[in-house]
Amino acid sequence: MTKYIIKRLIGMIPTMLIIITLSFFIVRIAPGGPFDGERALPEVVKRNIEAKYHMNEPLWQQYGRYLFDVLRGDLGPSYKYKDHDVNSLIFNSIPNSIILGCIAMALALLFGVAFGIIAAVRQNTLLDYIPMGIAALGLSVPLFVVGPLIQYIFAMKLDWFPTSGWFTEGLGWKTIILPSIALSFAYYADIARLTRSSMLETLRSDYIRTAKAKGMRQSVIIFKHAMKGAMLPIVSYLGPAFAGIITGSIVVEQVFRVPGLGKFFVQSSFNRDYTLIVGVVIVYSAILIVMNFIVDVVYAQLDPRITYK
Amino acid sequence: MLKRKKEQTVNEFNQVVVGNSLTKEAWKRLKKNRMAVFGMIVVIIYAIISFSASLLPIYPYDESVIDHQHLRPSLTKTSGELMLEQQYKNLYFKAWRAGRLVLTPEEDEMIEALILKNETNKVWDYLYSKGEAQREAGTFEFNSSEQKTIDKYVDKINTEIQITINTLYYMKDGKKLNLNKVDYDTLLALYCGEVKMDREVVETALTKEITSQVTNTVKANLGEDATQDDINSAVALEMENMSRKDFESKACESIIGKLETSAKRTIEKKLKEQIAESSVEFPYKGMYDVNDHISANINASLKHMRRYFLGTDYLGRDLLSRIIYGGQVSIAIGLIGTITSVIIGILVGAVAGYKGGKLDYYLMRFVDIMYGLPYMLLVIICMAIFGREIFNLFFALAMVSWLTIARMVRGQIMSLKNQEYVEAARSMGASTSHIILRHMVPNSLSVIIVYSTIRIPAFIMQESFLSFLGLGVQAPYASWGSLIGDGVTSMTLYPWKLICPSIAMIIFLFAMNFFGDGLRDAFDPQSKNQL
Repeated sequence: MTKYIIKRLIGMIPTMLIIITLSFFIVRIAPGGPFDGERALPEVVKRNIEAKYHMNEPLWQQYGRYLFDVLRGDLGPSYKYKDHDVNSLIFNSIPNSIILGCIAMALALLFGVAFGIIAAVRQNTLLDYIPMGIAALGLSVPLFVVGPLIQYIFAMKLDWFPTSGWFTEGLGWKTIILPSIALSFAYYADIARLTRSSMLETLRSDYIRTAKAKGMRQSVIIFKHAMKGAMLPIVSYLGPAFAGIITGSIVVEQVFRVPGLGKFFVQSSFNRDYTLIVGVVIVYSAILIVMNFIVDVVYAQLDPRITYK
Repeated sequence: MLKRKKEQTVNEFNQVVVGNSLTKEAWKRLKKNRMAVFGMIVVIIYAIISFSASLLPIYPYDESVIDHQHLRPSLTKTSGELMLEQQYKNLYFKAWRAGRLVLTPEEDEMIEALILKNETNKVWDYLYSKGEAQREAGTFEFNSSEQKTIDKYVDKINTEIQITINTLYYMKDGKKLNLNKVDYDTLLALYCGEVKMDREVVETALTKEITSQVTNTVKANLGEDATQDDINSAVALEMENMSRKDFESKACESIIGKLETSAKRTIEKKLKEQIAESSVEFPYKGMYDVNDHISANINASLKHMRRYFLGTDYLGRDLLSRIIYGGQVSIAIGLIGTITSVIIGILVGAVAGYKGGKLDYYLMRFVDIMYGLPYMLLVIICMAIFGREIFNLFFALAMVSWLTIARMVRGQIMSLKNQEYVEAARSMGASTSHIILRHMVPNSLSVIIVYSTIRIPAFIMQESFLSFLGLGVQAPYASWGSLIGDGVTSMTLYPWKLICPSIAMIIFLFAMNFFGDGLRDAFDPQSKNQL
């Protein structure tokens, strides 16, 4: 197990390196630079700015410098937000994104697992059909439709929640609810369906029948015996779910005006703010890779049948 | 000739056993699944509608009417009635503000509260209903200037005509000449006669016009940095290099354009007179005489008799036709993108699976690493930086979505590799590409087809996701995602712009998902209980 963990940790390095390299070069081979605005700058000014950001050096030298800076944990200055560096921009906005993502994930897990189990235990009743119908909806309705629609219905028509904003802007805790529901919807759908099918399978297995034959209470059977086995597919689903929540948060932050990392990301790619784009991608990828790693380790812990080599 | 008798297989009870192909079996199972069949029908209907869009009786973009901005959806009312309604609402609101439309104090309070909450639509609707009621009861009347505005508006609605000229004809010596088909000299002579000018004067004017056209394109090509001298020399070069034929075709175009504009003006005037005499019926389609020697094949209709079942957008474009054309783009991207990614996936997967060894190892490690990338982020960067064109979108999406199919095909091929028929083919000297393409890929096709149908909605969702962010399909083209993105920005006032495309998209994705699930169950019945 320790060996496996070490191997995985080492394996992260080339992946991160590829991500850094790829995003570094993609943003630079494209036509147009961060200082090409509506109005052309005088040649001298442009040259001075480029010298300041080392953009007059050959590309490989810039790349080496950047790689070295990243290793020290410095993501460079922002080209568009003057007097800010990428580190401070990212670390000011990332807590909001993390809060949003975690609440959404928790909601999806809570409701998905709960309704999945209920649907499996009461198969072919209304308690099965209604949550699974909603889940089928969640699979087909993309996030950028769910977000605006619930914003329209619950914030504008029914006026239950604020339309947009975020609690750090002093708008109250109610601002968190709609964005996190929107973000969690698709993952609720997947988790509920996964839970239901794996729970059904587990409930049919021999050891559950034995437990029943021994006269155990149903609640004990479900929560103590069946749950553990049925949760395995959910754990392995969490990796892709985190990836999806990260991309999804870009839309949700756009729609509900959450001051998070996702908003920065879209803006900076329009602005060609090279360092900010690459910085955001590095942070996102790091989160994603660490999450995948944790999920795999947890999975191995839960399922003793799996031996990693 | 010896006819071979068809041998029948019999089972132990002497019943004839008929073999069935895999696809036939799958089709049989699919037919039993009612939701899947329903989904399939919906998908087919969508496909037919969106790919015959240019034949359908919907209003194309280039015939949109700028006056029809943000009309609400209505099944019964024409655009003219809706415009008039809007005008009335406006006038009632002004009258209420001026204190001429008198309501009870409670009602006034309620309206003030609504205004504070930015509920413009509710305010207007309420005042409209009250105003109409009071006008009917005789307690409220428009004053003369308001009445004048309304009369002018009604006149405009009743008489404005939309004319499209398909072809122009010239009557010469009792013969009808199609002006699109005559050569330059004839056309020029006709035009000179029409405007009563000398041939030289007209030609000079045409040359000037074409030069300015060329200058514009040259400017666009050279970019902003070019100096005036650069532009001048480039233009001179272009004009010199232009062949006589090119010049003539450009000149013809411009002459016909001029004739059409003047013909349109005349026709409009004549038709308006005819409306006053009510001697013409709309929509008018067919030949119309402009003067005694020019006639035109036209389509004419009253502008404000149009009906918009799903409303219009900020440029007066019919939302129904936007959704249909948007669906065309979305579905096409979904289909072609899936096909591209499937082809790449098959190639990589088949080679890796068949060759095995080092090549397989490196290809699969590459796939693993690609899996670890946050690819949607990379796609967003690509789109933002390399320009937002449909081709780029497609390329970026196809590049990252072949991974799963490559893995699947590899697994399938590896299990097929050691089958006897492959060995037989190999022993008979078949080449690797032959074995892969003719034996192995067809045998794993069912898996591929099932996976592709599941991929299509995912592809459409990704494309729409990018378009929603403003990074995908660009105006004047639309896709469902960009329509929804447009709708979001103005959903307080014009909710139909959000709701209609959303519903259209949801129905399609729903149907597609059911169809894909049904197809998977049909090809692989054992998968039914899994996700």
